[in-house]
Amino acid sequence: MKHSRLLKSVALVLLGVLFAGHALAAPSIAPEESALRQKFIRTLLSTGAQQQALLGELADSGSKLVRDLLTSWTRGEIYLYQDPVTSTTVPLLLEDQQDANGKARGIRIDNGLYLTDASGKELRFTSDDLNTADTDMRLRSTIQQAFDMLSLADPDVDARQNAVIKLGYSQKLQYLPILQARLTKETNAGVKRALYEGIALLQLSTSDSSVRIGATQKLANLGSIGSLDTLRQLAANKTTDPAVARAATNAVEAIERHITWVNFFGTLFHSLSLGSILLVVALGLAITFGLMGIINMAHGEMIAVGAYTTYLVENIFGDGITLSPFGYSFTLPGLHASGWFYQSYFIFAIPLSFLTAALTGLALERSVIRFLYRRPLESLLATWGVSLILQQLFRRIFGANNVQVNSPTWLLGHFAVNDILFGYNRIFVIVFAVVIVFGTWLLLTKTPLGLFIRAVMQNRDMAACMGVRTNRVNMLTFAFGSGLAGLAGAFLSQIGNVGPSLGQSYIVDSFMTVVVGGVGNLAGTVYSALGIGTADETLQQLLGSPVMGKIIVLCAIILFLQWKPGGLFAARSRNLDN
Amino acid sequence: MRKTLSCLFTVGAFMAVAVTSSLRADDKVVKVGILHSLSGTMAISETSLRDVLLFAFDEINASGGVMGYKIEPDIVDGASNWPLFAEKAKQLLEEDKCAVVFGCWTSVSRKSVLPVFEKDNGMLFYPVQYEGEELSKNIFYTAEAVNQQATPAVDYLLDQGKKKFYLIGTDYVYPQTTNLILYKYLLLHGVPVENIGGGLRKDDSGKVISAGKYVPFGHTDFQQIVAEIKQFAASGDACVINTINGDSNVPFFKEVVAAGLTPSDCPVVSFSLAEDELRSMPTKDLVGELGCWTYFQSIKTPGNKAFLERWKSWLATESYPGVVKEKRAVDSPMVLSYDGVYLWKAAVEKAGSFDVDKVRAVLEAGGISFAGPGGTVTMQANHHVTKNVYIGETKADGQFKIIKTFDQVYGEPFLLKGLDDKLAAMSK
Repeated sequence: MKHSRLLKSVALVLLGVLFAGHALAAPSIAPEESALRQKFIRTLLSTGAQQQALLGELADSGSKLVRDLLTSWTRGEIYLYQDPVTSTTVPLLLEDQQDANGKARGIRIDNGLYLTDASGKELRFTSDDLNTADTDMRLRSTIQQAFDMLSLADPDVDARQNAVIKLGYSQKLQYLPILQARLTKETNAGVKRALYEGIALLQLSTSDSSVRIGATQKLANLGSIGSLDTLRQLAANKTTDPAVARAATNAVEAIERHITWVNFFGTLFHSLSLGSILLVVALGLAITFGLMGIINMAHGEMIAVGAYTTYLVENIFGDGITLSPFGYSFTLPGLHASGWFYQSYFIFAIPLSFLTAALTGLALERSVIRFLYRRPLESLLATWGVSLILQQLFRRIFGANNVQVNSPTWLLGHFAVNDILFGYNRIFVIVFAVVIVFGTWLLLTKTPLGLFIRAVMQNRDMAACMGVRTNRVNMLTFAFGSGLAGLAGAFLSQIGNVGPSLGQSYIVDSFMTVVVGGVGNLAGTVYSALGIGTADETLQQLLGSPVMGKIIVLCAIILFLQWKPGGLFAARSRNLDN
Repeated sequence: MRKTLSCLFTVGAFMAVAVTSSLRADDKVVKVGILHSLSGTMAISETSLRDVLLFAFDEINASGGVMGYKIEPDIVDGASNWPLFAEKAKQLLEEDKCAVVFGCWTSVSRKSVLPVFEKDNGMLFYPVQYEGEELSKNIFYTAEAVNQQATPAVDYLLDQGKKKFYLIGTDYVYPQTTNLILYKYLLLHGVPVENIGGGLRKDDSGKVISAGKYVPFGHTDFQQIVAEIKQFAASGDACVINTINGDSNVPFFKEVVAAGLTPSDCPVVSFSLAEDELRSMPTKDLVGELGCWTYFQSIKTPGNKAFLERWKSWLATESYPGVVKEKRAVDSPMVLSYDGVYLWKAAVEKAGSFDVDKVRAVLEAGGISFAGPGGTVTMQANHHVTKNVYIGETKADGQFKIIKTFDQVYGEPFLLKGLDDKLAAMSK
């Protein structure tokens, strides 16, 4: 929080004031800082060209104070107070700390002191009492440029890189010497690359043809997607020097080739991530439907149980939550966590989601499903009923609206390799899928319970004869399958909606994945999830239309099942019933 | 058994009628229909409109009713089922003889009741932003027309120096029509066709019939689309025009945030996200994105403050079944429903009659206006409403900070034809 740091410095100044007395307040601010503050206020209160010029001067200062003030300005945290006596406008910030009436003290921007009236009494305001110093989008983009100039020396690599690129796109030649000067000092490879790109972009606007041709070649080599528009305009413009236009056309072609490759690898990555989501969502069903043979329509609601658990955990780590199911209101207290501890809520949410969904599954198995093992079609109706009951229960407890789940910061954002974006949440789901598939495989093949599960699923009666407690194995298997669905819910809460109908949107995808993979075969589910994911993303990319892509995938699946009714890996059996 | 049951029902019904009629024995009443989905997928949005209508009726009844008649609400449930909307409309008009009906949210529900209202000569007030290209003599559109939401937003973005526009929406009539209008509008304002993103679909003669990218209802996977937007916006000065409806907005915005598209680089202006929808969105991720409506809860006029106070105290005291009392927000469709009731009241009082033809004649004559929470609204001869248009930035608390106001914008339902003509003139 830059703002709070600013406040802290203000507080220190104030401490100084307390000891030194009021008369000595002004000298406690260094003269150059005072000048910057005055200049900032002039900028704030001026308009048009003068304001733009002053912003440029502020940008040249390189001061951290200016950056903090500019941030506050763009966020609308700077207020204007009309002094009733002198009828001057006093810009001020409001302190974070509010009193019982929601009012806070104002901090003057010109000297960093609390605003007082003529008698020296501190004035208090709510944000509604005052007008903010407004910014519109155009002003903010100028402020942003000032910001970018200041960011060129930022210790953070990403901030530097962004700043360089933006200055490049501004197409203002005045930045060229600044970027070139920066290039001599810069050591980071990524920022250097950005500097080359920014410099080349700016050189496109010079008048020297050879420099411009060099710049187009540079941009082509760098594969600069952002410069495509500028280069196209350059190539299409009849007044351009023909040699430059030719070079620009070549560069456009080179960059378009680059984009094709970016899209190709991007689609591969998207396919992998969509496939992983399908896999995570369907794996639980592959167990309850695939292995156990229950047509489990409540699978989607198990996913929702996991997602709502994540929601609860997030709120418990935050400010707590009040729920009022069936007219009884109760409050779960919050831990008021912050920083990394709050960000880690998701780590705790994952096992808890598994647990709650598994327990729900356990209860469901004991109360309904255990009576239906020999009647699969009736399990369809019964579980569908259960799914409706669970949905209504979610509405009763959490309300009919979707609920907000804030993602931890380490799941937001991305890193880019050669213009291909790798979202952290997407990488997470791929790793997540690998881990739970591996875990499931371990459980089924390397543990005594897994042996029992496989035995019971192959032939319940024979397993019972051999002394396996089939009742217990059924119960645990169903709970495990439901728990896997809960894990899926925990992840889905990070990329989409959490609401009563969450399960409904994934139930079709889940069945599709399991059926295509071949009922009763976990490896089949893995292949089919990845296959459907790839087909979906590739068609989206090729057709440019998600609607058509989806229709074609569904048609292809219908045709595929006509050809191979048992799915990719049909379970072979000598059982006469099959 | 069945006989006893039906006997019981009959007795019960008689008793209910007896009770209500004894309660209202000395009041003159006028029946007013409320036709919204109170169950099904649209219930989340539409129940709020029922609530605000009941609030308006109570307010009017408390101050003496309409020409001395108390309003008696006749609430029916369209159940998010479009053919059922038509049946319920028939019931309201033919059996219950409602003087006026307030209702519908989706365009498809309005299209489905339209023939019923025209046949029975009823009167419907429709409050939700829509695509235009329609004008029935029996429907009054208090809703935002495209030129009261989409084109002002584009004007604003053009004014802010945006040069590239990416259009994305859910695949149905409202986004398709709106985006087609915007596509032509942008061309007319000198935006070259390659700077309009999302793709074009042309018919055999080469005429553009659809502009923008479309996703099915409930779509969750926005990876490819956001990657495309990221490349589109790489050169700066780009923005996204979002007509995605409902739930899909959450995965869309989560992907936008993950791809690092910030509002300062590439703002998203959404036409289907108002305060009510933002209650269930991760608003922290949306700070700085834009919305455009004819009302925002954050409007700082005394009229709006008083309205919000009255609404809050009504919520605290009302006793209608099914009205949620906690965490309520007010948004543009609600306020336009509320404005519609008062416009109708003013017209009835001027006409001196509840007769549909007479009331319509007064409304069409112009000059019927009401100082609503979002500013003065005035009914026009073309059944649309002149009103203020606001552009706001989303804040972390799910409210909007108003950054631009267009005063008293005239509602124009038919834009496509005019744009086509102007484009043709321009190409000559």
